[in-house]
Amino acid sequence: MKKRYIVIINILIVGLILFIIVKYANDRAVESNQSSIASFEKMTTTTEQIVANYLEDEQHLCDIWANYINGSAEAGTPMTVDEAISYIRKAKISPEISGHLIYIDDGSMAGISTNARSTDPSDYSVNYSHINIFENLEISNVDGAVNLTRAYTNPLNGVQSIAFLNNIKVLDSETEEMRDALIIRVVPVSRLEQKLVFLKGEYENVEISLIDWDGDYMIHGKSLKNSNFFEYFKSYNPMSAQEYNQVVETIRTDIGSMHIHNSKDEDCVIAYTPLSGLDSWFLVAYIPAYELTLNRSIDWLILGIVVAGLLILLHFNLMILLNFNRKLTVAAEAANQANEAKSYFLSTMSHDIRTPMNAIIGMNEMILRDSHDDEILMYSENIRAAGNTLLGIINDILDFSKIEAGKMEIINVDYNCASLLNDIVNMVQRKADEKNLIFKLDVDPNIPRCLHGDEIRIKQVITNILSNAVKYTKEGGVTFSINSTKCEDNPDYVMLHVSVEDTGIGIKKEDLDKLFAAFERIDEKKNRNIEGTGLGMAIAQSFLDMMGSSIQVESEYGRGSVFSFDLKQKVVKWEPLGEFDSAYKSFLKEREQYKVRFVAPDARILVVDDNEINLKVFGNLLRETKIQIDTAESGDACLTLFKRNFYDVIFLDHMMPDKDGIETIKEMKECTDTPNAKTPVICLTANAVSGMREMYINAGFDDYLTKPIDTSRLENMLCTYISSDLIKQVDREPEQKYKILLVDEDIQFLRKLMELLSNKYEVAVSKSTAQATAYLKSHEADLIIMDDKLDNLAEGEPDKIIRDSFKEKSETEITSLIDDFFAKVADKERREHE
Amino acid sequence: MNKQIKTILAMTFISMLAITSAGCGQTQNQSLEQSETQVNQQENSTNQFSPKYEADTEYKLSVVGTYSNFESLESTIDRFYEHYPNGEIEYTYLDDYRNTIGPALAGQEPPDIYVVQPWMYGDEQFASLFDGAEILSDPELEINLDCIRSSVKWEMDDGEILTLPVFATSYGMLVNMDIFETEGLEVPNTFEELKDVCQQLKEAGYESPLMGANTTTTPGIGYAFSYPMFAKTVKDDRSIEEGLNNLEPSAGEAMRPSLERLQDLVDSGCIDVAKCSAEIEDDYNSVILRFFEGDVPMMLCSGDVVSGTKKREGQSEAFSANPFNYDFYVAPSGDEGGYYMDSVSILFCVNKNSVNLDMTNEFIRFLTSEKELGLMAAEKRLITPTTDYSLDEVYASLADFPEARTVNFRDTELLDTAVKQYRAAAYAIVNGEMTVDEAVANYGSIPTE
Repeated sequence: MKKRYIVIINILIVGLILFIIVKYANDRAVESNQSSIASFEKMTTTTEQIVANYLEDEQHLCDIWANYINGSAEAGTPMTVDEAISYIRKAKISPEISGHLIYIDDGSMAGISTNARSTDPSDYSVNYSHINIFENLEISNVDGAVNLTRAYTNPLNGVQSIAFLNNIKVLDSETEEMRDALIIRVVPVSRLEQKLVFLKGEYENVEISLIDWDGDYMIHGKSLKNSNFFEYFKSYNPMSAQEYNQVVETIRTDIGSMHIHNSKDEDCVIAYTPLSGLDSWFLVAYIPAYELTLNRSIDWLILGIVVAGLLILLHFNLMILLNFNRKLTVAAEAANQANEAKSYFLSTMSHDIRTPMNAIIGMNEMILRDSHDDEILMYSENIRAAGNTLLGIINDILDFSKIEAGKMEIINVDYNCASLLNDIVNMVQRKADEKNLIFKLDVDPNIPRCLHGDEIRIKQVITNILSNAVKYTKEGGVTFSINSTKCEDNPDYVMLHVSVEDTGIGIKKEDLDKLFAAFERIDEKKNRNIEGTGLGMAIAQSFLDMMGSSIQVESEYGRGSVFSFDLKQKVVKWEPLGEFDSAYKSFLKEREQYKVRFVAPDARILVVDDNEINLKVFGNLLRETKIQIDTAESGDACLTLFKRNFYDVIFLDHMMPDKDGIETIKEMKECTDTPNAKTPVICLTANAVSGMREMYINAGFDDYLTKPIDTSRLENMLCTYISSDLIKQVDREPEQKYKILLVDEDIQFLRKLMELLSNKYEVAVSKSTAQATAYLKSHEADLIIMDDKLDNLAEGEPDKIIRDSFKEKSETEITSLIDDFFAKVADKERREHE
Repeated sequence: MNKQIKTILAMTFISMLAITSAGCGQTQNQSLEQSETQVNQQENSTNQFSPKYEADTEYKLSVVGTYSNFESLESTIDRFYEHYPNGEIEYTYLDDYRNTIGPALAGQEPPDIYVVQPWMYGDEQFASLFDGAEILSDPELEINLDCIRSSVKWEMDDGEILTLPVFATSYGMLVNMDIFETEGLEVPNTFEELKDVCQQLKEAGYESPLMGANTTTTPGIGYAFSYPMFAKTVKDDRSIEEGLNNLEPSAGEAMRPSLERLQDLVDSGCIDVAKCSAEIEDDYNSVILRFFEGDVPMMLCSGDVVSGTKKREGQSEAFSANPFNYDFYVAPSGDEGGYYMDSVSILFCVNKNSVNLDMTNEFIRFLTSEKELGLMAAEKRLITPTTDYSLDEVYASLADFPEARTVNFRDTELLDTAVKQYRAAAYAIVNGEMTVDEAVANYGSIPTE
C-alpha cells in the first residue's frame, strides 16, 4: 500500500473518530437543547400556576367585597354607593390597588372610586364609558368565576391595570332605589409583573406575556412587538393562512412550545399554556433560542483533550510510518539491487554463452551446408545436437526468468495439429531411439486438424514432459496419448487430453511436491548423471497455468509415472486429423527442405559486432542470398559507414567495448548527415533475457534478433525490412513425383489404380511381365506394384518391388502400403542427407 | 519531514478544525453573524449617533400614545438598544388618551415620553402636557432639531421647542402609477389637467377615475380634495379666521372658492360619488382595499390612510395577485396646482419630571435625526417631519413642493368647530344636498352629525 494511502486512511480514521465525537456531542447537545426546552415549558406551566393563583386570589378578594356589599343588601340593609366605597376603601390593604364602583343599569358606566383622580385629589368620580374593556364580558352577570379585563388604562391615574369584576347591588341615596352596579378591583399590571421577577434568576431574557383569545396583550413582553401577539407572529413568520390558523389554534388549545422568528429574524422559542381556571387567557413565555442552546451540556474540555490526543496519535503514527518507510525503502533498494544483480547475471550469462554459441552453431551450420564427407557430417550433426541441448538449457533458464518477471505472454495463433505432433514426435523419437526405448503413439484420429492456441508453448510443455519421461526411463517405453472431446458448454472448443506414460523410475509420494519446484531435481544423487536444470516441469506447469490448465501426476515409485493434462483449444477446422501415421508421413512429404528462399544482390546491409567470428558467421549464413554485407567491429566504425553508405538494414550488436550498441544508435539517431535516416536498425544481441526486447525497442531499435542466429528468423527479418523491389524469390525445382509401375493383367484394375494414384505419383502401367521388363529397360521406377501371380521381373531392384494380391485389397490399403513405402524411402534419404 | 507529509498534516489540522467548528453547532456561527451585523450596524449608526453615556447604562423608559400599535417606534427602540442594550423602553397605548394622559402624568407611573397633537395646545385639559414638557431646544440636550422641516417645527411663543414632530400628514390622493404608465398619462398637476386626464381615463374604461370615501371625516372626498384650498384661502387672509372660528355666517364666504372647485369636480364627472358610496364603506380600510383592487387611477384620502397601505398590501388578495406601484400626490385642486397641507400628525413630549430624564433625552436625541425619523415614518408610511423625503418613495412627490402653495399647521388657527363646518359643507356639496350658495349662507349652522 502506498504511503499516502496509509496517511489518508489514518486521517480518515481520526476524522471519523472526531466526527463521531462531535456527532455524539451534538446529539447530547440536541438532547440538552430538548431538555432545556422541556424545562422551559415546565417553567411556563409553573408560571401559569403562579399567575392563575394570583389572579384567582385577586378575584377572590373582589368577590369578598361583592359578597359583603350584596350580603348587606340581602339582609335588607343595602349599602349606599358611598357606604360601599367606604367599605372597600377600608377593606383594601394596598394603596396601589383601588376599587371602582360603576353603575351598569343605566349604561353610564360612571361611578365612584376609592382613590381620587391623580390630577384632582378631590375628584373621586370615575367613568368607563370611553374605555372599552367590557365588550367581551357579560357584565350583568359576572359572578362565579375569575372575571378580569385586558390591561387597560386606569382612568384616574393613567396606570396600566387589570380589573377584577363582580356584580353588586347598592342603594341610590338620591332616589332610594336599588341599583345594579359593578365592583371593580383595579390592580396595576406591574403587581402581576412583580410576581414573575423570580424567573429572571433562571432565564435572563425570558419575557412573559399574557394574551387574550384575540391575542391582545394583558402583559406585554419587551421583545414581542405589536399590540397583538398573533399579529406580531404573523408579521415576522410568513406562512399560509392555513398554517397561521393552525398555529393560533395550537396556542389556544395546547400546552407546548415552538420556534418563531422575532422582529430581528432571530430564532426564538415560545412556550404557551392556557391560564387554568380562566376563560380565554393564555400565558406565552418568550426566550431567545440561543439562551436555551447556550445551556448545552457538552464537555468541551474532554472534547478538546480527545482531539489533541488524536492529533498527537496521528503525528506519532506518521512518525512511525515514516521510520518504517525509510527501512522499507532501504530493504527495497537492497532487493532491487539484488534483482538487478540477478538480471545482470542472467544478461551476462546469456550474452557470454550465446556469443560463442553463435560462432559454434553458425560455423557448424556452414560445415553441414558445405561438407560432403559423411564422417564430418556425422561429427557436425553431433555438434549441432549438443549445441541445441545447451541452447535448450539456456532457453529454459531465460524462459523461467521471464515467467518470474511476469513477462511471459501466451500468444495464440492458428496451428496445424499434425505439424505440432510431428515436431514433438521428431524431437522425442530420436531420444527414445538412442536409449532403445519403445515410443508408442496413441493419437486420436478425430482431433480437429487445425486449432487455435499458443503452439510454441504447448509444444514446449509436451516436449518437456516427454523429454523428462525419456530421461528418467531406462528400459521399457514411453507412451504418448492425445485425444480430444468436444466442449459441451462451448461448441467452438475441444478439450485436448494429453497423457505421457512411462515405465521409468517413478516418483515417491513425498517427492511429488518437488516436481514443479524450480531448480529442484528429485533423487538428485541417483539422477546426477541425467542432464537438466530442474526447470522443465516448472516451466511446463507455469505455461499450463497461463493457459488455464495444470499437470496431473500419477506415479508409482520404481514402476513408472503418468503425466497428463487437459487443455481447452479453439477449433479452426473441424476436419479430423485422421490416422496420425499417414498424416505424419504426408506432412513429412509436404515439409520443405531448407533452401535459400530469396536472393537480393542489390541489397546492402551493415553488420556491427566486436566479435570477428560472429561477423563471419553472419556473412556465411547469408552467403547464398548474395546480399552485399558490410561489417564493422565497433560503434565508431559503424557510425563512419552509417554516414557514408546507404544500407537497407543495419544489424547492430549491443554489448561492444568502448561504445556499445545503445550509445551507437543514440548517435545514429542524432545524426542528420546520413543517407540512413530511415534505415531500420536491428539489435543483434546475445542478450536474450526477459524485458530486453522492450528495452531495445525503447532505446530506438526497430527490431531484435538473438544469437545464436536462427537462419530462418534472420531471413524472415530481411524479407520484412528490405524493400521488396530488391528481393527476388528463388524458384524452387518442381516437385519430382515418385514413379510407380503397375503390373497386372486386369486392365480395368490397372485403370482404377492409375486413377487412384496418378495425382500423387507418376504412374505407368504394364499388363504383363514382359511389357514391364521392356519398360524398365528404358525407364526408372521407384516402386513396382505387381500381382503376385505374375512372373518375376528380370529388371528392377528387388527392394523396389512389392508383389501381392492387390485386387483383394481395398484402395486405402493399397494407398497406405504405397505411402508407407515412400515414407521409409524419404526417411532413409533424409537420414542419408543428414 | 518532507513537503508532502507537511501538506498532509496541515490538511489534517484544517479538516479537523473544519469538522470541530462545524460540529460546534450553529449557535456560535449565529452568534458571530449577529455580532458582525451588530458591528456593521453600529458602525453605520456611529456615523450619525454618538452615545453620551456608557453603553451598559441601565434604564427603563415608557412611552405612551394614541396608537394601539406602534411597531415603527418599536423598531426605532430596537436600534436604540444597539447603543444601550441594558435597558427597556416600553410603548403603551393609553385607553381614552384624551382623558387618561393627564392623570397618567400625575399618577404613580408617569410616562417618560408621551404623545401630543397640535389641537391639544391651548386646551386647559391638556395644559399639563405642555407645562410638564422638557424644553427640547435646550442646547445642553444637543438634540438636532435642525433636521426637522421648518413647516412642522413647533416653536412656542418664546421660541422654545417642547415637542418633537414624529409624523406629518397631509391630504391628497393615492395614484395607481401603473395605470398612468399603461395609459401613457402624466399625473395631473392642475385642476384642468385633472379634468383632462379623467376624461381620457373614462374613455379608457375607468368609470370613476377619481374615488374616495364619501364621509364627513378628514379622509373623505370633500375634505381631502378641497380643504387644503380652503386653508390656503384662510392663510392668505387671516382676517377671516376669527369670524370662521366664531361660526359667523358671514365668514362662510371664505368657503366659496374651494366649495365651487369641489362642485366643479363633481359636475365634471371625474368622480362617481354613488359608486364611491356603494363600494367604499369606511374612510380607512375600505379606501385602501378598494384602491388595491387595481382599477382606481386616483383615490382621495389622507396621509393617515396612506399609512395603512403597507400592512394591507398582504391582506389584499387582488394586490397580492397583481401588485402595482402607487404614490401619494397632492390633489390638483388649484389652477396652478394643488395645495400641500403640511400637517403634524403626532408629536412627542418628554416628561421633564421623568425619573430617567437623561436617558429619555438621550433617546429623543437618538430619534431626532433624518435617518431615524425618516425610517420611522417610512415604516409607518406617514410623511417624515424631516427635510428628507427620500426614505419613502410614496411621498417623493412632496419633495421640493412650492412654498407658495404649502399650508403648514401653524399658518392657520382654525378651531375644530370651524373645520367641522367646512367638512359638513363639503360633504353636502359632494352629495348634492346643498348648493355652494346654500353652504356659504348656512355657515355656522350646517349640521355636522
